[in-house]
Amino acid sequence: MSLRIIVCAKEVLDPDAVNNYALEGKLVIGDDGKSLTQSSIPRLMNAYDEQAIEAALRIREAGTACTITVVSIGEGQDILKHAASLGIDEPVAIQADPATLDHHGVAKLLAAFVQSRGGADLVLCGRQASDDDQGVVPALLAEHLGLPVVTIARSVDVTSAGDGFGVRVVRVTPDGDETVAVAAPAIVTISNELGQARYPTMAGRMAARKKKITTVAAADLGVAADGLRPRVTLAKQFVPTVKSACEVIPGTADEAAAALIARLRAEQVLRNEPEPARARSKDSGA
Amino acid sequence: MANEMTSASSQSRVVVCSWGTSGGVEELLTLGRSVANGLGATFGWVVLGPAPHDVTEIASRHDVPIVDHLEEPNLQSFGGDVAVAALAAYAREHEFRVLLVPQTFDARVLAPRLAARIDAGVVMNGLGVAIEGGKIAVTASAFGGDTRVVYELGEGRFIVGVSTASLGAEAAQKPASAIIRHCPVDVASVSERVQVVTRSEAGGPRIEEADILVAGGRGLGDKANYRLVEELAAALGGMAAASRPIVDEGWAEPARQVGLTGKITRPQLYIAAGISGASQHMVGCAAAKTLVAINRDPDAAIFRYARYGIVGDCLEILPALTRAVKG
Repeated sequence: MSLRIIVCAKEVLDPDAVNNYALEGKLVIGDDGKSLTQSSIPRLMNAYDEQAIEAALRIREAGTACTITVVSIGEGQDILKHAASLGIDEPVAIQADPATLDHHGVAKLLAAFVQSRGGADLVLCGRQASDDDQGVVPALLAEHLGLPVVTIARSVDVTSAGDGFGVRVVRVTPDGDETVAVAAPAIVTISNELGQARYPTMAGRMAARKKKITTVAAADLGVAADGLRPRVTLAKQFVPTVKSACEVIPGTADEAAAALIARLRAEQVLRNEPEPARARSKDSGA
Repeated sequence: MANEMTSASSQSRVVVCSWGTSGGVEELLTLGRSVANGLGATFGWVVLGPAPHDVTEIASRHDVPIVDHLEEPNLQSFGGDVAVAALAAYAREHEFRVLLVPQTFDARVLAPRLAARIDAGVVMNGLGVAIEGGKIAVTASAFGGDTRVVYELGEGRFIVGVSTASLGAEAAQKPASAIIRHCPVDVASVSERVQVVTRSEAGGPRIEEADILVAGGRGLGDKANYRLVEELAAALGGMAAASRPIVDEGWAEPARQVGLTGKITRPQLYIAAGISGASQHMVGCAAAKTLVAINRDPDAAIFRYARYGIVGDCLEILPALTRAVKG
């Protein structure tokens, strides 16, 4: 019995290019007041989703027989060709315009797709998309499918458990790593701590050219257009202004350091005496 | 007043939802009150899990007439199956237009799960909520903090996750006397599908709660030099923190990572050493009261956010600062 993995992937504007433009003060917002219109910003697969594909490939390499499907909403996207070149089994494009959907709509379409395939044992998603950073689709999808969701994974291991599969996930939490176990089917979101996603090999690229991208019409998934009407709409986008008020403290390392500490003490950001001494005297006095 | 809070006032209630003693509640109550006022809505607070010991005082200070307290022995975390079921049960009994949750690690899972469960809309990463022409507009961060987006909320119910680090807390002009209402929820049949095998080791102080942070980045050049960050932090009575690149490199523990995929901090003093100031990092420290930047590159983005800057090699400046503090 082979493990059916479905990875959800999104095309995003390259966040590094956006970051460079923003830092240079050259990020252009379109006439609609919300779109980033610079054609020089590349469109690529959300990096966390690439890592979700990487997680799927590692599960296969660890010895579990898998079918890996990568699904994305939109048409004519290069990201599915990229996915195909990595050695996944089937790239699938759901024909709908992502710009007209909110996250609920995205989750509904993805859920309908998973159901149209008779379910999946493991659905892998990136922890969030690097454009809107919302990170809500995996949890919405989990609820639509009635599946448990484990977020922010550093690693995902699959074991056979009876006539099914068990999934063991190391999560990155604010308090350090946590290991959890869940029975498949389940949804897991992958974080950057998984490590670098692989690059396609030349052979992979050649094979991808022959691989056909499966297209699925939203209407064929049985999702009524009414149910896709967005409740959350993007009204505006802007680059936050930073009021720069930095005072550069001159001098040698020691001069600058002494001047800075004196300033911080004068402003009572720091106490007026060496900190460890204060701690000691307080402790001994108590 | 309690009796008024039925479905009759359904579309005009704003509720703050918090988990136990999680931080940022007073900031969120301050925001919630202003949203409620803007909508002409009633204002409520629902506490899940063990309530803060001074819950009545906090509620009174923020003019919350009634605090709904959901306590259930099986509740383990804010994002788990029992918590989602408990809040979904609560949401079926108590209507609201907007439910505000502080954006903690667990809340990032809870908010969308609950939204799907009760068919509400959801927006995360909120930095502010305003009423514009009768519509609810949520300002959120996007592109790792490089841009801000404004989402307009449509009809129906919404759950909004708010990053409280950038908000201020202010008591209501006319504080009220609050009562605590215990809300029984039947979640006995719900059990957690995800089992914790090994818990994270929480112990020790957390950088989110530190008053003084000294954070190191790639400019340190080498793992061994992270010691310089720790020494200055110790001299200042603060904690050492780190940027994501050096956590990825293994120079510092993940629990010390500041930023979008790390922790959101709001110390009195934040000293960033050898950190370039990428938006993803600034998300986690922009709320610092005083930010000091040390960087060799005078054009580094970090200086745009800093109050004070020293242009130079952090390997020289950090020990000099430690000496200056020790006097």
